[in-house]
Amino acid sequence: MEDGEIEEGMITSDEFPTSEVTTETIPQPREPAKSPLELLRESKTSVEEIVAKMLSIKKEGNNKSEIRELLTQMFLNFVNLRQANRAILTEEDKVKAETERAKAPVDFTTLQLHNLMYEKSHYVKAIKACRDFKSKYPDIELVPEEDFFRDAPEAIKDKLVSSDSSHVLMPKRLNFELLQRKELCKHRVRLEQQKKSLLETIAERKKFLSSLPLHLKALKKASLPVQNQLGIQHTKTLKQHNLAELLPPPLYVIYSQLLAQKEAFEECIDLEIVGSLKDAQAYARQQSKKDSGMSNNTESSRLEDDGPDDDDDGQRRRKRPKKLTTKEGSDKAGLYQAHPLKIFLHIYDDENPDTKSLKLVILKFEYLLKLNVVCVGAEGSQDGPEKNIFCNLFPDDAGLEPPHQSTKLILGDGQAFDENRTSRPYKWVQHLAGIDILPEVSPILLGQETHNIDSAKSDVVVSDLSLYRQQHRVQRILQRIRSRKKAHLALAEQLDLLMKHELPDVKCEDAPWALHKVLCTLDSWLHIQASASMSSSLTLNSMEQVPEPMEIDVDGRSISGKEDLEGIREDGELPSLVTAAASVTSSNHTPLKVSNVARSRQLALMTKNLDSPISKGKSPSFKKYEDDLDLVLDDDSEVDEPAGTTKAHVEALYPEKTDNSWVDYGTREFALVFSRKTDGGKLCKLEATVQISMEYPLRPPFFSLSLHASSASGNENRTNESDHYNELRAMEAEVNLHMLKIVPSDQENYLLSHQIRCLAMLFDYYVDDPSPDSKRGTATTVVDVGLCKPVDGKLLVRSFRGRDHRKMISWKDRGCASGYPC
Amino acid sequence: MYGDATNWNEEDYREAILKEREIQTRTVFRTAWAPSAKIPNPDAFVVASSDGTLAFHSMNSLVSQSASFGYSKDLNVMAAEPERVVRAHEGPAYDVKFYGDDEDALLLSCGDDGRVRGWKWKELVESEVSLQENHVKPLLELTNPQHKGPWGALSPMPEINAISLDHQSGSVFTAAGDSCAYCWDVESGQIKMTFKGHSDYLHTVVSRSSASQILTGSEDGTARIWDCKTGKCIKVIGSQDKKSPHRISCMALDGSESWLVCGQGKNLALWNLPASECVSTISIPAHVQDVMFDEKQILTVGAEPLLRRFDLNGALLSQIHCAPCSVFSISLHPAGVVAVGGYGGLVDVISQFGSHLCTFRSSSL
Repeated sequence: MEDGEIEEGMITSDEFPTSEVTTETIPQPREPAKSPLELLRESKTSVEEIVAKMLSIKKEGNNKSEIRELLTQMFLNFVNLRQANRAILTEEDKVKAETERAKAPVDFTTLQLHNLMYEKSHYVKAIKACRDFKSKYPDIELVPEEDFFRDAPEAIKDKLVSSDSSHVLMPKRLNFELLQRKELCKHRVRLEQQKKSLLETIAERKKFLSSLPLHLKALKKASLPVQNQLGIQHTKTLKQHNLAELLPPPLYVIYSQLLAQKEAFEECIDLEIVGSLKDAQAYARQQSKKDSGMSNNTESSRLEDDGPDDDDDGQRRRKRPKKLTTKEGSDKAGLYQAHPLKIFLHIYDDENPDTKSLKLVILKFEYLLKLNVVCVGAEGSQDGPEKNIFCNLFPDDAGLEPPHQSTKLILGDGQAFDENRTSRPYKWVQHLAGIDILPEVSPILLGQETHNIDSAKSDVVVSDLSLYRQQHRVQRILQRIRSRKKAHLALAEQLDLLMKHELPDVKCEDAPWALHKVLCTLDSWLHIQASASMSSSLTLNSMEQVPEPMEIDVDGRSISGKEDLEGIREDGELPSLVTAAASVTSSNHTPLKVSNVARSRQLALMTKNLDSPISKGKSPSFKKYEDDLDLVLDDDSEVDEPAGTTKAHVEALYPEKTDNSWVDYGTREFALVFSRKTDGGKLCKLEATVQISMEYPLRPPFFSLSLHASSASGNENRTNESDHYNELRAMEAEVNLHMLKIVPSDQENYLLSHQIRCLAMLFDYYVDDPSPDSKRGTATTVVDVGLCKPVDGKLLVRSFRGRDHRKMISWKDRGCASGYPC
Repeated sequence: MYGDATNWNEEDYREAILKEREIQTRTVFRTAWAPSAKIPNPDAFVVASSDGTLAFHSMNSLVSQSASFGYSKDLNVMAAEPERVVRAHEGPAYDVKFYGDDEDALLLSCGDDGRVRGWKWKELVESEVSLQENHVKPLLELTNPQHKGPWGALSPMPEINAISLDHQSGSVFTAAGDSCAYCWDVESGQIKMTFKGHSDYLHTVVSRSSASQILTGSEDGTARIWDCKTGKCIKVIGSQDKKSPHRISCMALDGSESWLVCGQGKNLALWNLPASECVSTISIPAHVQDVMFDEKQILTVGAEPLLRRFDLNGALLSQIHCAPCSVFSISLHPAGVVAVGGYGGLVDVISQFGSHLCTFRSSSL
């Protein structure tokens, strides 16, 4: 409306100059009834007419008065125009207002409509959400409807009408379910409580049981003095017998036969089965399962009987798994898997049976499951072929070659038994175990390898032990081991002396070399390797180390002693520790605590027991020695000194060589030098290489001689070998062969001393009269007088004889003729 | 063998070890080819060794046995089982000779026990005596006399180191340990002549039947030529003073019996007997232990494993390595095959061409 006013004003101001013209030209008749628009149009046309008239007047220029009138008319028309305009504007305002008025309800309704639309969509959404809502009830496993109707209590069921929709039914069913579950929960809680109480009672009883072994042990310990007093080693023997029943058959034969020997002939030996009972039982069960489906009832019953022992084993097991894994770590180690039970055999000196203190050697027998062989090793002593006194106990038994064909097949062709193992499958052990082996080669066809021997048949466990006993195997082997060990102790003693360059004494009045005053000196005694490839430094090394074995030996013995002690302790039969534990039990009555203490202590003992032999055995110096031994071993294998073959006709028939390398196995070589200055100022040196076999003294040391002579000035001229060749060979023959017949059998272990003394004597005689002419007539006691009729009138003394021009030695006969004083 | 744990025989085993050693230390002192009139090839020969045995070996079986054995320097040689073994002497058997050339020949051996024993060769070969019963009663037994001391004490039995035979006169000459040589009558078994003069024991005796002489070599370093009829020493070869310290260890005459070779120490002296002068001296690195003529060549062995062949001028023709380290005996078969024996009980048979026919260690009782 404002706009209209402004417009109006504007128009007025604008139209002022022109209004005059229009009003003048167009007289506007007024017709009130007419619409403003018509009025406007009429006014306009009238203005236009007026203007046209005015124009025409002006052109004619006549009648000026008319113009005036016309002008007024014009103004009139303008007024009309304004009126019309105003009318139009007001009309417009009016229309606008009317439109406004009409629009308001329309807007309202639109708004309402929108609201409704929103509402609707919301509802739709809500409905959809409701529709999509998943109830939990389909997941709940409800009891079936019929069960519900049957079992549900009336309180839930009562309002239910049969015609009710399933929807109504469902909550009810759910309710019922809930009820049921709640009840079950309650039941569970009750049961839990019951269980708890039961567990408590079980724990209590367990506590009691676990304390029981201690009590039982105490009881056992208390009974021990009584047992000792009565001479019944009940507990120990019972335990050992239990173990013995689990031994594999070969070990069982060894055990039973040795035990029988001990009991029947009072052999100075002790037997002991060591190993885990549980493992053995497990193995036995496994074995029996494999053999036959039926389970062994006695086995299981025994398992229960041995409750107290299991306690020990339980602790032992902690150590074991580690050992087993290392054992089975490699495939090869698996081959050497041993039966859990082992037999320890303590052999005592039988010459003075009243003192049991002198323990000669401890043997450990073990049975290799895969290879089906029995192995033996010296317990607590170091290995290496030179120290392993069991090899070649009987001929051709170095222990390197597996005794059975089957073992050879398992180990693979050409593969020897692991040399690094301390225990070896000697043939004699197999014999002791009652495993009789077919020789590799048929005795008739020696030399032709028979591979088609059925391996299963190649070893037969002698079922009937009568043959075994007839052959006195146990007795013989024990005797051999004893004599071997004694011989080696004596040998070590002699070697020790020789290391200090002292001639060992011989306690034999009869032998001429014992009475002979040695004039030559023992210059050196070196341990050398058999092979020529050895270096001089090595020789020195070995020389320095040779005195070691004795020490180690002593050490080993002490270890074994200690272990022994602990072995007893393990059984809970050592009084000191046992009483301590017992007193603890009596003083404070808290069995649980005590058992723990005792257990931990026992465990400590156990680990110590297991550790001590290993850690002690591997002292660094010892290791070094072992290395050297390995070297020796390698070298030994290269040297193949051909020992004369004895079975000549076999040789003749089958000219292939019999392998005699076993003879050299473990042979040690020493270099010995005797020197003697002659009256003429010449220095004579007799060098001897001494081979000492494992079979000493059965196979006497073997001497090979060579002679060096140097003049006084010192320049050594190795004399022509051929000059002394025959004499040296004669001396060799004397030392290696002939004099052995003179050595009394009780001096056998000191054979080396005898031989060296004899050699010294022979050397003395040789140097005394090196050439036939130099010293005729210096007859010694052993030189014969050849009473030929002398040509030149003097008594001729012969000192050589025969085509080989050998020195005459006539041994004085030991006993003198009957009736004559010596 | 000696059993193991099941069947142990310790004494047997001990004996076996000693026996093994005994075999290794044994010495073959002489080998002798058996006379074979029919077969010109060398076949049978006898080995006398230091254990007092005579072993009879046949070349045929030896060669077939040793077919797979090449000659090797080491001691790994075949041990051959002899056809027959006779325990001839108590101590070592030093020499063995055949008396006669035909089938009726006598086998004579001497040894350390001072005895000469003789067997009929044919009987010995053909006798069906088992090996265990090795003592065949000898046909002939000559025992060295023992010397009586002032009070009737007997001297130790001197050994007989060598024998030599003279078929024409039916004599056996022995070189004995009492520094005497003896001449025995084969028929009667009596001493026909004693040759005294050496100052030490005799190593060797050679008969020179063409001149009815014998030659002896002694420990005292001299060789002597004796007249068999008078028993007098005709000539002393080599000085008896102390300058020649080495013994005469061996002597040999050639076929014409005019050349003599003497082994003394490390030298060989070649003598022309008709001229009675030393023609040449051959020096050898090792002690000479046996020597032999092969036509106009000299074969010699010593304390070394070599068989050397010289011509009469002393030039070395060949040297063949042989098995024993110290060789005590050469024996030459007319066909040219040489058998050498020595320390270690080793015998090496070498053909005329210098190849080793067989090498073996004589195994014995």
